Amino acid sequence: MRRIKITFRVLVFLLIGGVLHYALPQRDIVRVVNTYQERQDLNDWTRIFWARPDDQSATLINRDVQFIQTVKQRTMLFGFIRRDSTEVMVYRNEDTGWSWPFYFKFDTANLQTEADDLLSTAEEPKWAVMTHYGWRNEYFSAFPNAIAIRPVENPNVTIIPWFNIAFFIFLMVAILFIRAMWRQFRERSVDPLLDAAGHQIDEVQAGVSARKGRISRWIGSWRAKDKR
Amino acid sequence: MGFIRLVIFGFIGLTVVYFSVSIYSRSVRKERLENEFDANHPDSGAPGARDTFVSEGLRAYDASIRPKLIGLIYVVPTVVIGTIIVMINAN
Repeated sequence: MRRIKITFRVLVFLLIGGVLHYALPQRDIVRVVNTYQERQDLNDWTRIFWARPDDQSATLINRDVQFIQTVKQRTMLFGFIRRDSTEVMVYRNEDTGWSWPFYFKFDTANLQTEADDLLSTAEEPKWAVMTHYGWRNEYFSAFPNAIAIRPVENPNVTIIPWFNIAFFIFLMVAILFIRAMWRQFRERSVDPLLDAAGHQIDEVQAGVSARKGRISRWIGSWRAKDKR
Repeated sequence: MGFIRLVIFGFIGLTVVYFSVSIYSRSVRKERLENEFDANHPDSGAPGARDTFVSEGLRAYDASIRPKLIGLIYVVPTVVIGTIIVMINAN
Protein backbone atom coordinates (compact mmCIF):
# COMPACT_ATOMS: atom_id res chain seq x y z
CA MET A 1 0.00 0.00 0.00
CA ARG A 2 2.84 2.33 0.91
CA ARG A 3 4.63 1.47 -2.30
CA ILE A 4 1.50 2.14 -4.39
CA LYS A 5 1.11 5.49 -2.68
CA ILE A 6 4.72 6.47 -3.41
CA THR A 7 4.43 5.33 -7.03
CA PHE A 8 1.23 7.31 -7.46
CA ARG A 9 2.81 10.43 -6.01
CA VAL A 10 5.89 10.12 -8.19
CA LEU A 11 3.68 9.71 -11.28
CA VAL A 12 1.60 12.79 -10.43
CA PHE A 13 4.77 14.78 -9.75
CA LEU A 14 6.31 13.68 -13.06
CA LEU A 15 3.12 14.53 -14.96
CA ILE A 16 2.86 18.03 -13.48
CA GLY A 17 6.59 18.56 -13.91
CA GLY A 18 6.36 17.45 -17.52
CA VAL A 19 3.49 19.82 -18.28
CA LEU A 20 5.37 22.70 -16.66
CA HIS A 21 8.58 21.85 -18.48
CA TYR A 22 6.67 21.82 -21.75
CA ALA A 23 4.69 25.00 -21.19
CA LEU A 24 7.01 27.36 -19.28
CA PRO A 25 9.32 29.61 -21.29
CA GLN A 26 12.96 28.67 -21.74
CA ARG A 27 15.77 30.58 -23.39
CA ASP A 28 18.46 29.34 -25.77
CA ILE A 29 21.49 31.11 -27.19
CA VAL A 30 21.15 30.55 -30.92
CA ARG A 31 22.48 31.58 -34.28
CA VAL A 32 19.80 31.61 -36.98
CA VAL A 33 20.83 29.64 -40.04
CA ASN A 34 17.71 29.63 -42.15
CA THR A 35 13.95 29.88 -42.05
CA TYR A 36 11.45 27.87 -44.05
CA GLN A 37 7.79 27.05 -44.35
CA GLU A 38 6.42 23.54 -44.76
CA ARG A 39 3.02 21.92 -45.02
CA GLN A 40 2.34 19.76 -41.96
CA ASP A 41 -0.15 16.93 -41.54
CA LEU A 42 -2.10 17.36 -38.34
CA ASN A 43 -4.52 14.45 -38.28
CA ASP A 44 -2.92 12.10 -35.79
CA TRP A 45 -2.12 12.22 -32.08
CA THR A 46 1.00 14.36 -32.61
CA ARG A 47 -1.52 17.17 -33.17
CA ILE A 48 -0.98 17.98 -29.49
CA PHE A 49 2.52 19.22 -30.35
CA TRP A 50 1.13 21.85 -32.74
CA ALA A 51 -0.52 25.06 -31.74
CA ARG A 52 -4.11 26.11 -32.42
CA PRO A 53 -3.70 29.62 -33.79
CA ASP A 54 -7.41 30.17 -34.47
CA ASP A 55 -10.69 28.27 -34.53
CA GLN A 56 -10.54 27.21 -38.18
CA SER A 57 -7.18 25.56 -37.55
CA ALA A 58 -8.78 23.16 -35.07
CA THR A 59 -10.46 21.21 -37.88
CA LEU A 60 -7.78 21.45 -40.59
CA ILE A 61 -5.95 18.22 -41.33
CA ASN A 62 -2.93 20.06 -42.71
CA ARG A 63 -1.61 23.58 -42.95
CA ASP A 64 1.57 25.55 -43.56
CA VAL A 65 3.86 26.08 -40.58
CA GLN A 66 6.86 28.39 -40.42
CA PHE A 67 10.15 27.12 -39.02
CA ILE A 68 13.39 28.70 -37.81
CA GLN A 69 16.56 26.65 -38.20
CA THR A 70 19.31 27.49 -35.74
CA VAL A 71 22.57 26.36 -34.24
CA LYS A 72 22.30 26.61 -30.48
CA GLN A 73 24.66 26.36 -27.54
CA ARG A 74 24.30 23.10 -25.71
CA THR A 75 23.11 23.25 -22.09
CA MET A 76 22.59 20.84 -19.23
CA LEU A 77 20.20 20.65 -16.27
CA PHE A 78 17.23 22.60 -17.65
CA GLY A 79 19.54 25.13 -19.28
CA PHE A 80 21.25 26.22 -16.06
CA ILE A 81 24.69 24.93 -17.08
CA ARG A 82 26.12 26.05 -20.38
CA ARG A 83 28.41 23.69 -22.32
CA ASP A 84 31.06 24.57 -24.84
CA SER A 85 29.64 22.67 -27.79
CA THR A 86 26.78 23.51 -30.13
CA GLU A 87 23.92 21.53 -31.66
CA VAL A 88 21.26 22.19 -34.23
CA MET A 89 17.75 23.15 -33.16
CA VAL A 90 14.70 23.77 -35.29
CA TYR A 91 11.85 25.85 -33.88
CA ARG A 92 8.35 26.09 -35.23
CA ASN A 93 6.88 29.55 -35.33
CA GLU A 94 3.13 29.49 -34.72
CA ASP A 95 0.59 31.78 -33.13
CA THR A 96 -0.81 30.43 -29.89
CA GLY A 97 -3.74 32.88 -30.03
CA TRP A 98 -6.11 32.76 -27.11
CA SER A 99 -5.64 29.09 -26.29
CA TRP A 100 -3.25 26.87 -24.36
CA PRO A 101 -0.42 27.49 -23.62
CA PHE A 102 -1.31 31.06 -22.74
CA TYR A 103 1.43 33.05 -24.43
CA PHE A 104 -1.08 35.15 -26.41
CA LYS A 105 1.32 35.17 -29.33
CA PHE A 106 -0.06 36.81 -32.45
CA ASP A 107 3.13 38.14 -34.03
CA THR A 108 4.35 35.05 -35.89
CA ALA A 109 4.99 36.95 -39.12
CA ASN A 110 6.99 39.64 -37.29
CA LEU A 111 9.02 37.03 -35.45
CA GLN A 112 9.81 35.26 -38.73
CA THR A 113 11.03 38.59 -40.15
CA GLU A 114 13.20 39.25 -37.10
CA ALA A 115 14.69 35.78 -37.44
CA ASP A 116 15.37 36.38 -41.13
CA ASP A 117 17.07 39.62 -40.20
CA LEU A 118 19.45 37.72 -37.90
CA LEU A 119 20.61 35.13 -40.44
CA SER A 120 24.34 34.59 -40.08
CA THR A 121 27.14 32.18 -40.91
CA ALA A 122 29.52 30.21 -38.73
CA GLU A 123 32.35 32.54 -39.76
CA GLU A 124 30.50 35.70 -38.77
CA PRO A 125 28.02 34.55 -36.12
CA LYS A 126 25.23 36.84 -34.91
CA TRP A 127 24.07 35.42 -31.60
CA ALA A 128 20.59 35.84 -30.29
CA VAL A 129 18.47 34.74 -27.31
CA MET A 130 15.51 32.64 -28.40
CA THR A 131 12.59 32.39 -25.99
CA HIS A 132 10.53 29.31 -26.62
CA TYR A 133 8.37 26.63 -25.05
CA GLY A 134 7.89 23.01 -25.99
CA TRP A 135 10.05 20.02 -26.83
CA ARG A 136 12.05 18.91 -29.82
CA ASN A 137 11.41 15.27 -30.60
CA GLU A 138 12.68 13.87 -33.88
CA TYR A 139 10.59 10.68 -33.73
CA PHE A 140 7.28 12.49 -33.24
CA SER A 141 8.30 15.49 -35.38
CA ALA A 142 7.70 17.77 -32.43
CA PHE A 143 9.26 21.22 -32.41
CA PRO A 144 9.50 23.87 -29.71
CA ASN A 145 7.50 26.98 -30.49
CA ALA A 146 9.55 30.17 -30.78
CA ILE A 147 8.10 33.06 -28.78
CA ALA A 148 10.61 35.87 -29.16
CA ILE A 149 14.12 36.51 -30.39
CA ARG A 150 16.52 39.29 -29.47
CA PRO A 151 20.09 39.80 -30.63
CA VAL A 152 22.95 39.71 -28.09
CA GLU A 153 26.56 40.80 -28.52
CA ASN A 154 28.11 37.88 -26.74
CA PRO A 155 27.00 34.24 -26.56
CA ASN A 156 28.06 34.14 -22.88
CA VAL A 157 25.29 36.49 -21.77
CA THR A 158 23.69 35.75 -18.38
CA ILE A 159 19.98 35.00 -18.55
CA ILE A 160 17.83 35.25 -15.42
CA PRO A 161 14.46 33.51 -15.84
CA TRP A 162 12.40 36.16 -14.04
CA PHE A 163 9.08 34.88 -15.27
CA ASN A 164 9.77 31.34 -14.08
CA ILE A 165 11.00 32.59 -10.70
CA ALA A 166 7.81 34.62 -10.26
CA PHE A 167 5.71 31.70 -11.48
CA PHE A 168 7.15 29.22 -8.98
CA ILE A 169 6.85 31.71 -6.10
CA PHE A 170 3.22 32.23 -7.07
CA LEU A 171 2.71 28.47 -7.29
CA MET A 172 4.11 27.91 -3.79
CA VAL A 173 1.99 30.72 -2.33
CA ALA A 174 -1.11 29.35 -4.08
CA ILE A 175 -0.49 25.82 -2.76
CA LEU A 176 0.02 27.06 0.80
CA PHE A 177 -3.09 29.22 0.53
CA ILE A 178 -5.23 26.36 -0.75
CA ARG A 179 -3.90 24.21 2.10
CA ALA A 180 -4.82 26.89 4.65
CA MET A 181 -8.28 27.22 3.10
CA TRP A 182 -8.83 23.48 3.19
CA ARG A 183 -7.77 23.29 6.84
CA GLN A 184 -10.04 26.16 7.77
CA PHE A 185 -12.93 24.51 5.92
CA ARG A 186 -12.36 21.22 7.73
CA GLU A 187 -11.97 22.82 11.13
CA ARG A 188 -15.04 25.06 10.82
CA SER A 189 -17.44 23.05 8.65
CA VAL A 190 -16.57 19.37 8.35
CA ASP A 191 -15.35 18.52 11.84
CA PRO A 192 -18.41 19.95 13.67
CA LEU A 193 -20.65 18.00 11.28
CA LEU A 194 -18.68 14.82 11.88
CA ASP A 195 -18.82 15.41 15.63
CA ALA A 196 -22.57 15.92 15.44
CA ALA A 197 -22.97 12.83 13.29
CA GLY A 198 -20.83 10.77 15.65
CA HIS A 199 -22.90 12.01 18.55
CA GLN A 200 -26.10 11.05 16.75
CA ILE A 201 -24.76 7.59 15.97
CA ASP A 202 -23.95 7.13 19.63
CA GLU A 203 -27.46 8.14 20.60
CA VAL A 204 -29.04 5.83 18.03
CA GLN A 205 -26.91 2.95 19.21
CA ALA A 206 -27.83 3.63 22.80
CA GLY A 207 -31.51 3.78 21.76
CA VAL A 208 -31.24 0.52 19.86
CA SER A 209 -29.65 -1.31 22.76
CA ALA A 210 -32.26 0.07 25.16
CA ARG A 211 -35.06 -1.10 22.86
CA LYS A 212 -33.38 -4.46 22.47
CA GLY A 213 -33.34 -4.73 26.23
CA ARG A 214 -37.06 -3.96 26.31
CA ILE A 215 -37.91 -6.46 23.56
CA SER A 216 -35.88 -9.26 25.08
CA ARG A 217 -37.53 -8.57 28.44
CA TRP A 218 -40.92 -8.75 26.73
CA ILE A 219 -39.98 -12.03 25.01
CA GLY A 220 -38.69 -13.24 28.34
CA SER A 221 -42.11 -12.57 29.84
CA TRP A 222 -43.60 -15.11 27.39
CA ARG A 223 -41.06 -17.72 28.21
CA ALA A 224 -42.10 -20.41 30.54
CA LYS A 225 -41.54 -19.40 34.10
CA ASP A 226 -39.28 -21.50 36.21
CA LYS A 227 -40.54 -25.05 36.04
CA ARG A 228 -40.83 -26.53 39.35
CA MET B 1 -14.28 32.87 -30.61
CA GLY B 2 -11.15 31.79 -28.75
CA PHE B 3 -11.20 35.13 -26.99
CA ILE B 4 -14.83 34.68 -25.91
CA ARG B 5 -14.07 31.17 -24.68
CA LEU B 6 -11.14 32.45 -22.63
CA VAL B 7 -13.25 35.25 -21.15
CA ILE B 8 -16.12 32.91 -20.20
CA PHE B 9 -13.99 30.16 -18.67
CA GLY B 10 -11.65 32.67 -17.05
CA PHE B 11 -14.63 34.41 -15.49
CA ILE B 12 -16.04 31.12 -14.19
CA GLY B 13 -12.66 30.08 -12.76
CA LEU B 14 -12.03 33.45 -11.13
CA THR B 15 -15.54 33.46 -9.68
CA VAL B 16 -14.86 30.12 -7.99
CA VAL B 17 -11.60 31.54 -6.58
CA TYR B 18 -13.36 34.75 -5.54
CA PHE B 19 -16.05 32.99 -3.54
CA SER B 20 -13.61 30.53 -1.99
CA VAL B 21 -11.33 33.34 -0.82
CA SER B 22 -14.30 35.41 0.41
CA ILE B 23 -15.66 32.55 2.49
CA TYR B 24 -12.18 31.72 3.81
CA SER B 25 -11.44 35.31 4.78
CA ARG B 26 -14.77 35.72 6.58
CA SER B 27 -14.34 32.39 8.36
CA VAL B 28 -10.88 33.36 9.60
CA ARG B 29 -12.28 36.67 10.88
CA LYS B 30 -15.16 34.89 12.62
CA GLU B 31 -12.82 32.47 14.32
CA ARG B 32 -10.62 35.34 15.48
CA LEU B 33 -13.64 37.18 16.92
CA GLU B 34 -14.76 34.07 18.76
CA ASN B 35 -11.30 33.51 20.20
CA GLU B 36 -11.07 37.18 21.18
CA PHE B 37 -14.37 36.98 23.06
CA ASP B 38 -13.38 33.75 24.79
CA ALA B 39 -10.07 35.27 25.87
CA ASN B 40 -11.80 38.33 27.34
CA HIS B 41 -14.62 36.37 28.99
CA PRO B 42 -13.17 33.23 30.61
CA ASP B 43 -16.53 32.73 32.36
CA SER B 44 -18.23 32.60 28.89
CA GLY B 45 -20.00 35.95 29.55
CA ALA B 46 -23.67 36.85 29.55
CA PRO B 47 -26.04 34.63 27.50
CA GLY B 48 -26.11 35.77 23.88
CA ALA B 49 -23.23 38.20 24.38
CA ARG B 50 -20.86 36.03 22.36
CA ASP B 51 -23.21 35.86 19.35
CA THR B 52 -23.78 39.62 19.48
CA PHE B 53 -20.07 40.31 19.69
CA VAL B 54 -19.29 38.01 16.74
CA SER B 55 -22.09 39.26 14.50
CA GLU B 56 -21.18 42.88 15.20
CA GLY B 57 -17.54 42.13 14.43
CA LEU B 58 -18.56 40.48 11.15
CA ARG B 59 -20.73 43.48 10.25
CA ALA B 60 -17.69 45.70 10.78
CA TYR B 61 -15.66 43.30 8.65
CA ASP B 62 -18.21 43.45 5.81
CA ALA B 63 -18.03 47.24 5.88
CA SER B 64 -14.21 47.32 5.90
CA ILE B 65 -11.95 47.50 2.86
CA ARG B 66 -10.75 43.90 3.09
CA PRO B 67 -13.71 42.18 1.34
CA LYS B 68 -13.45 44.78 -1.40
CA LEU B 69 -9.78 44.02 -1.88
CA ILE B 70 -10.73 40.41 -2.69
CA GLY B 71 -12.21 41.89 -5.88
CA LEU B 72 -8.60 42.24 -7.04
CA ILE B 73 -8.88 38.55 -7.89
CA TYR B 74 -10.68 39.69 -11.04
CA VAL B 75 -8.45 42.70 -11.70
CA VAL B 76 -4.94 41.28 -11.29
CA PRO B 77 -5.17 38.38 -13.80
CA THR B 78 -6.76 40.71 -16.34
CA VAL B 79 -3.90 43.18 -15.95
CA VAL B 80 -1.32 40.36 -16.09
CA ILE B 81 -2.84 38.95 -19.27
CA GLY B 82 -2.94 42.41 -20.83
CA THR B 83 0.73 42.93 -19.91
CA ILE B 84 1.68 39.54 -21.37
CA ILE B 85 -0.15 40.32 -24.62
CA VAL B 86 1.65 43.64 -24.98
CA MET B 87 5.06 42.24 -24.03
CA ILE B 88 4.88 39.17 -26.26
CA ASN B 89 3.65 41.02 -29.33
CA ALA B 90 5.63 44.23 -28.93
CA ASN B 91 8.22 44.65 -31.61
